Amino acid sequence: MRMWVYVVRRAALVVPVVIGVMTVLFVLISALPVGTRACSFFHPSGKQNPCDPTIPCPTDPSKLCPNPAYVAAVNALGLNKPIFVQWAIYVGNALTFNWGYVAQGSALGTGAQGFGLPPLAGQSVASVLWQFLPYTVELALLSLLFILIISLPLGNLSAVYRNRPVDQASRIMSFSGFAIPTFLLGTLALAAVTFALGGPATKSVLCGGTSTVFQDFYGSWPQPPCAPLFGTTNLNPIGYPNWLAGGYISSPTGFPTIDAMIHGQYYLAADTLLRIVLPALVIAYGTVAVLLRFVRNSMLEVMNQDYIRTARAKGLPESTVIKKHAGRNSLNVTITVLGLTFAGFITGFPVIEVVFNLWGVGRLYAYSVVGPARDWDFAVLFGTTLLFTYLVVAANIIVDVLYAYLDPRVRLG
Amino acid sequence: MATVPATPPVVPASPFRRSMQARVAQYQRTWYFLRRNTLAMIGLVILLLFAALFVYGLYYPASGSEPQLYCASNSPLPVPETNPCYQASNVVCTYPSNVNSYGPGCIETPIGYPNFIAPTASLIPFTGGAFPLGSLVFPASDAGTTLPFFYNDYSMLVKGTVNSISVSVFIVAVGAGTGLLLGAVSGYYGGWVDEVVMRITDVFLSVPAILLVIAVIIVGKTVGLTSFTETLELIVAAFIIVWWPLYARIVRSQALVVREQRYVEAAKASGAGGGRILTRHVIPNSVYPVFVQMSLDVGSIPLLLAAITFIGFILFPYPLIPEWGSIAAAGTEVLPVVLTHCGVAKATCFLPWWQILFPGLAIFFFAISVNFFADGLRDALDPRLRR
Repeated sequence: MRMWVYVVRRAALVVPVVIGVMTVLFVLISALPVGTRACSFFHPSGKQNPCDPTIPCPTDPSKLCPNPAYVAAVNALGLNKPIFVQWAIYVGNALTFNWGYVAQGSALGTGAQGFGLPPLAGQSVASVLWQFLPYTVELALLSLLFILIISLPLGNLSAVYRNRPVDQASRIMSFSGFAIPTFLLGTLALAAVTFALGGPATKSVLCGGTSTVFQDFYGSWPQPPCAPLFGTTNLNPIGYPNWLAGGYISSPTGFPTIDAMIHGQYYLAADTLLRIVLPALVIAYGTVAVLLRFVRNSMLEVMNQDYIRTARAKGLPESTVIKKHAGRNSLNVTITVLGLTFAGFITGFPVIEVVFNLWGVGRLYAYSVVGPARDWDFAVLFGTTLLFTYLVVAANIIVDVLYAYLDPRVRLG
Repeated sequence: MATVPATPPVVPASPFRRSMQARVAQYQRTWYFLRRNTLAMIGLVILLLFAALFVYGLYYPASGSEPQLYCASNSPLPVPETNPCYQASNVVCTYPSNVNSYGPGCIETPIGYPNFIAPTASLIPFTGGAFPLGSLVFPASDAGTTLPFFYNDYSMLVKGTVNSISVSVFIVAVGAGTGLLLGAVSGYYGGWVDEVVMRITDVFLSVPAILLVIAVIIVGKTVGLTSFTETLELIVAAFIIVWWPLYARIVRSQALVVREQRYVEAAKASGAGGGRILTRHVIPNSVYPVFVQMSLDVGSIPLLLAAITFIGFILFPYPLIPEWGSIAAAGTEVLPVVLTHCGVAKATCFLPWWQILFPGLAIFFFAISVNFFADGLRDALDPRLRR
């Protein structure tokens, strides 16, 4: 089978899975009250409120009249039609990125709870998520890099030096990384770094304060209210990275680091990168725990193969045997497991983004479920779930294609 | 004086007794291999300690059989004079028995739960709290009021042990049981059953589990399941819905291997039916990877609950949260505020470290001991791994 045929075939398998996920979400959504559904998944023209079935009459405010926006929502979402029609409408909307709108009354909609975000009410969930996604992607890529850098050599080492101190140490590390809560590890790491650098930042040097640059990098608890915009004296009231939510400056790619580079702000690019180093390390520590076991086991299995004995017998140096013959062959399993752990790994993002005060998708998700029931935002909740599903599915495709590329038996067999 | 027979009477070896002897010998052998594994024994000892704590927590004295009102706070904010807590700040609120509503300073504890609130002497924020009976701090915003709530760390931890362990063990047991059954059936029989089950697991494994759990819980709460016991049941149900597919997948891949084995063929040849082969051959031989996954999951469910609480989702109706993860998460959540406070005024700085450390240690040791023990058990049970 040619490579592209394999890719197309693999991608086609995704369709039923995605439809299935949407069906599961639809079952959950259809359990919600009609008013909540109208509120979250329909956007009226103008400033009307689709949440309530009745509103005070325009002519006589003491009486209640049927709410036209509510009626329009019920019609648009098919809420008065059979459940199959509702399902079809939902799946259609979900496939076309029509994921609902930030509700008027939710915490995200009103800007309540002191998030520092402007009120997002009425904005399309997909577009909001799209704004916040690149930062999360940067964080994910960096943590992926750390995971691979840590787990591959360490797994190989502990397989080669089986039951020796290196192996025991890596085993203990993998157990502890699994057993420590992410938020605890993150908070402690942040506290340690902050206090090692001399206390929380109050105001960075660039904003006319006295905190050092390093304090500004990590000592942001909460974020210092002043972070410089590109070359201007505007103060950023929102948080970090400031151009994401505010729209203060053009953002050609959406990726904060790359945007900063494009604008020639190398300090900010370095700042952005440095800020996500610690969270990426914390995420990596938790995931490495899972991966290390598999790398070690697959490496042990490979080391028992005949071709390793052959390689040793023909006099190759041990380092070449481990690196080229064993390491390459154990990579397949590693990549598969990495794909499987990806789902667990990206669900750590809400927690880590809250701990480190990063403005990514996970933070948005956290704020959609925060607080009492009136603050919840169902459109963002279900939209983020869909987005994360897409990410997981995409990661699985990439892993499978990579696997097929590395191991010709997969695509030929 | 009756004469004692020199030798004990020989019991005729019934088939039942003989089969029991073989089984006991098998247990003895497993125990022998388990005993030699130091890490597994450490895990077992810690688990026994947890079991003791669990039993202790079950019978931990509840202060009354009926819901009672307690004074929750003597926060920096002045307690209004109309509040009963103003009069007697460390005792049960003295409401008349037929009054249903209570002031912001009082909370209602559900039936069977003790007074979680510490004596007011240790309730001054960030300064009080004697080891290990420190009071717990919760972010005021979470409670939906301006008053912070304070709890007794010790009684919360003891009751939290019961909730955390029972919830995680129950979830994993039911989830693994369901997955084991469905996975074995689908792997052994194949065909359309296999297709259907595997497509369903595909769907569930593509959604990040914790997001789906939160979605189920939040929808349940919106529908109206908000009381304490309902929330516990909701959590259990949500986790089970999301958790069984992983087990089904693991067991199926094992069952696919097992069904091609000679002993299954032999069983078929000697006339065994599908049910017998499943229960006697397929399931026992595909159960070891399930043990590993179960051990990982039992330890990780308190972690996940902690993460859910940490991002700000109010899992249990405030102000009652007897669950390890929630306690630690709430403590961690107020930490930034406290630390910023520390930076400003160093003299009055007091970290609620007991609130984070003790539940954190409980989670850590529970997860790690279950892992060690399950690893050892798998090695002892699986002859291929005993070396």
